[in-house]
Amino acid sequence: MEDNCEGCMELFSQDGVLLKQAHSYYIQYFNESGTLYITEYANTKDRFIEWKPNSVTVHSDSHDSEWSFVNAIYRGEQMSPQPPDSKPKYIKLDMNQVRSFKVSKKNDTMTFFDGKGEILCHFFFQHGNCFSLFAALKGLLKTTVSKRDKNIHIIVDETLQLNKSFATLDLFQDSQSASIVWGFVRSFQEKPVETAFGAFAKIGNTIGNNFMPSSSPQPIEEEVITNDVKEYERGVESSDGASPKDYEIIHSSPELPSRLQYPRGNPLSYDQWTALQDSEGRIEDVEYTKLHIFRGGIAPSLRKVVWKYMLDFYPWNSSNADRKTILGKKEQDYYDMKLQWKTLKPWQLQNFVQLRDRLSLVEKDVTRTDRTLPFYAGDNNKNLQAMSDILMTYVMHNFDLGYVQGMSDLLSPILYLLQNEVDAFWCFAGFMERVCTNFDADQAGMKTQLSNLYILLKFSNPTLASYLDNQESGNMFFCFRWLLVLFKREFELHDVFRLWEVVWTNHPCNNFHLLISIAILEKQQSEFIGEEMGFNEILKHVNDLSGKLDVNDILDNAEGLYYQIRESSQLTNEVRQILGLPLIAESSPKDDSTDSIENELMANVDKAYENGLHTSYF
Amino acid sequence: MENMATRTQTAQRPNGSAQGKICQFKLVLLGESAVGKSSLVLRFVKGQFHEYQESTIGAAFLTQTVCLDDTTVKFEIWDTAGQERYHSLAPMYYRGAQAAIVVYDITNQDTFGRAKTWVKELQRQASPNIVIALAGNKQDLANKRMVEFEEAQNYADENTLLFMETSAKTAMNVNDIFLAIAKKLPRNEQASGASASGQGRRLAEGDTGARAAGSCCK
Repeated sequence: MEDNCEGCMELFSQDGVLLKQAHSYYIQYFNESGTLYITEYANTKDRFIEWKPNSVTVHSDSHDSEWSFVNAIYRGEQMSPQPPDSKPKYIKLDMNQVRSFKVSKKNDTMTFFDGKGEILCHFFFQHGNCFSLFAALKGLLKTTVSKRDKNIHIIVDETLQLNKSFATLDLFQDSQSASIVWGFVRSFQEKPVETAFGAFAKIGNTIGNNFMPSSSPQPIEEEVITNDVKEYERGVESSDGASPKDYEIIHSSPELPSRLQYPRGNPLSYDQWTALQDSEGRIEDVEYTKLHIFRGGIAPSLRKVVWKYMLDFYPWNSSNADRKTILGKKEQDYYDMKLQWKTLKPWQLQNFVQLRDRLSLVEKDVTRTDRTLPFYAGDNNKNLQAMSDILMTYVMHNFDLGYVQGMSDLLSPILYLLQNEVDAFWCFAGFMERVCTNFDADQAGMKTQLSNLYILLKFSNPTLASYLDNQESGNMFFCFRWLLVLFKREFELHDVFRLWEVVWTNHPCNNFHLLISIAILEKQQSEFIGEEMGFNEILKHVNDLSGKLDVNDILDNAEGLYYQIRESSQLTNEVRQILGLPLIAESSPKDDSTDSIENELMANVDKAYENGLHTSYF
Repeated sequence: MENMATRTQTAQRPNGSAQGKICQFKLVLLGESAVGKSSLVLRFVKGQFHEYQESTIGAAFLTQTVCLDDTTVKFEIWDTAGQERYHSLAPMYYRGAQAAIVVYDITNQDTFGRAKTWVKELQRQASPNIVIALAGNKQDLANKRMVEFEEAQNYADENTLLFMETSAKTAMNVNDIFLAIAKKLPRNEQASGASASGQGRRLAEGDTGARAAGSCCK
């Protein structure tokens, strides 16, 4: 790299690295072999990940014009998404832009993310080993393993975050103030708590006097917290350009860290979906796909396709050819099962009370399911007939479970969306696999859910939990309908689509729907308590919320709640178990993983930020 | 929970003059799926009928007030899910109830059998003084009748149940069956404090009085 890197030091290099994915401007180099470097510039200490194709010789004079955004963030500018004017000769990625990276299970690919869910670069290691690059990165950066995906490593460099936060705010127009702040930043690294407590008040004054004469200093502290905590926790959501208006901090329990907001992202688009598939139509990165869906859902026109994967109709790794075979088999199986009950003679049915009863239950419910939707309205409606046939065939598919009230509510949106009997049947069957314990004969599954809901509520909002307890509502039975049909009765159809596909991703944890419940309940807290509602009124109030809820706001808060709970220093194994977090030995509450020291450190850092920053203004 | 006392208190009209007693009763609807429990409640409380009333999941709670002589009777109505699978939830709703309407569908013999099972369960497990009414619903479909009026009447007599055939669709006998229950309920002066189950914790006097006057004295 010496030929194009004046005053820069090569920290690492590796041959045989193929560029698989990057900005489309570099498409000419895709699948080309090259050399990957980590470089550091002596004067600025900025580090870069560089990749140079074997076929190209780079000259130093082309360097600056190609990547003019280098250091841009220090000048308070956003990185230019536009490709450079001149034809690029190689990839040069500012490490400050990398928020996380993913190492494939086979250790043969590495992907760098920008923190907004976008891929910066994706490399393939010909010799099947990206260990050395991984080790080099670990040596240079502080990282933590993502709880969502153990292959994702989130970069947690608080210095960087602080630098970036202050710089982005563009506060420091005179060098003296800047030096005070950077001095603070340096000592913060060494003695976070003391520095935060002691020095931040001064900085507050400085900022107040020099930079923000008319406004409260609060946005700065929030910016810092947001950057750091968010980056640490999510590794994907960059807060570049986030304004204080983008979030609010909600205090619900003294034990929990502050609530951050997680605005929903963009839905998975057709182009993105296509790009996620390999040449044979297999989804390569399932977890990434699910994460995208968790954030922003699926574009309405694409739901028909993607729901089949979410509901186990097609395996994620199926090729186009596989899917053709699978579809044929599923069609055959469905019609075979349908014939089984369709061809019963009247006298057979007459002497088969268990089946007859089940079929009668289906009929009773089908005629009154979503009849206000034009899709199911009117006499002799063929969609209603399809719903009935699917549910009856499901009785044959799983006779022990049969038909239980609530199932028609789960099928209706699926049939509405897919508009195909066979597809809807198997997707419904896949959905039932997830929720069949809701329909246990002894209600065991529902009781467990309600009890888990109470445990989570008591942990996250003891005030509300104890109020409900006092009103004999601690059994949470007023949430029965929410949980039984996964909020299907609470939202308008398109919001149900959205909520369901988010829950089906299993992100960010198990039982996310219980956190959704709490996010709804906490908004009712003031009415519950203020109006002294009792058992009856609470149930009535909750039933009457139907059609009045904002799905995005609720998902946003439920996700915020998840991180609050997860980062709480009081987190119990009981709560961990419900959310599917790793359990820990009772004696050492933080020692739950190999990177526990990092976790602990980060937790302390977060706490120091909050304590220090808040204290300085109170 | 076992507090059976009827709550009574003297309500004030908005103008301050005494209106008489207010009684508050907990009433639960039980019966097989799709016999019309929710439709009966909806007709009684809101005067509405939906041909394709959706199934009840969990339970619903509604209130309605009727005037009876000098007494205002406030019904706190628990409407439950009928399917056998949700049977285990029912005790939570009929516990402490002073009245129950067990509903069957006159066009379906099985639902009458199921109604008898509910009556037995109430007699065995609910409050001993519970007033039970039997409602043979969907009377508007009498041409498809599978349960004879006399059969049901005899059964009701044997078990000292109130009995009426009703139609939520045409409103036939709907208010009447609730009124008949109200008449049968003890309206003594024995006032109770906050009930154990927390239902109807207090009566906001002006508010309740006004609503009672508006909704039941028409």
